[in-house]
Amino acid sequence: MANPTQPLPNQWNEMWLVAFGAVPGALVRWQVQNDLLVNVIGAAILGLVVGLPFRPSRQLLLGVGFCGSLTTFSSWMVECSTLISQGAWLSALGLIGLTMGLGLGVAALGFLIGWQFRPSGLGR
Amino acid sequence: MSDLALPAWQASLVAIGAVPGAWLRLRVVNHLEPMVPRKHWGTFAVNMVAAFALGLVLALQAKCAPESGASPLILLIGVGFFGSLSTFSTFAVEVLNTLREHRWSEALVLAVGSILGGLLAVAAGVGLANG
Repeated sequence: MANPTQPLPNQWNEMWLVAFGAVPGALVRWQVQNDLLVNVIGAAILGLVVGLPFRPSRQLLLGVGFCGSLTTFSSWMVECSTLISQGAWLSALGLIGLTMGLGLGVAALGFLIGWQFRPSGLGR
Repeated sequence: MSDLALPAWQASLVAIGAVPGAWLRLRVVNHLEPMVPRKHWGTFAVNMVAAFALGLVLALQAKCAPESGASPLILLIGVGFFGSLSTFSTFAVEVLNTLREHRWSEALVLAVGSILGGLLAVAAGVGLANG
């Protein structure tokens, strides 16, 4: 399975790249302590990263590693679930709608901005 | 937040938890990709597992040690591992991609299914801890 001409299996490189992105992502999320903010910022950065003509290694570092770790689905769901259990249905719905609306919006915006830097941009 | 300074040992716990969380997410998504019709169901799977586990861990913490705030275990497992395992950004971009491909009903199923599934997963985790 291992290719003798390659000094490191591809999987090792993948793991290093993801790890180097994941550590700062998680630390920023922990320090910011605002799931809505990190999720919206992370969605914008990921949209940009996906739109830009980045190599797969950059996508792994910034997309899978950094953005994947910066943003969190589980804490968002726990927050909504806590609001629901307190009877604050409207706040829970608001948090869901705000996160989804802003998240999709900024991801689309980031993607469109990134796409402009491609050699064959959108609609060109 | 008690202090803005970054306590090194707490940061290390978050970092040590985050790396395997991100690795597992990558592995699960890549592993499921050939088996599920679309890649985003891999992300859906890790998000459901992480929501269930975070609900369980936080409810156990509240039950067993309600006095201690951010315990080392919560930082390592909750903030680090499961926070890093689950992801919102990939989910948002995958919903967006599905919309761009005009797969309206699939985008709706993915978005609503993830949110309802996530809420149910948290409830199941909390229920298991208190049951």
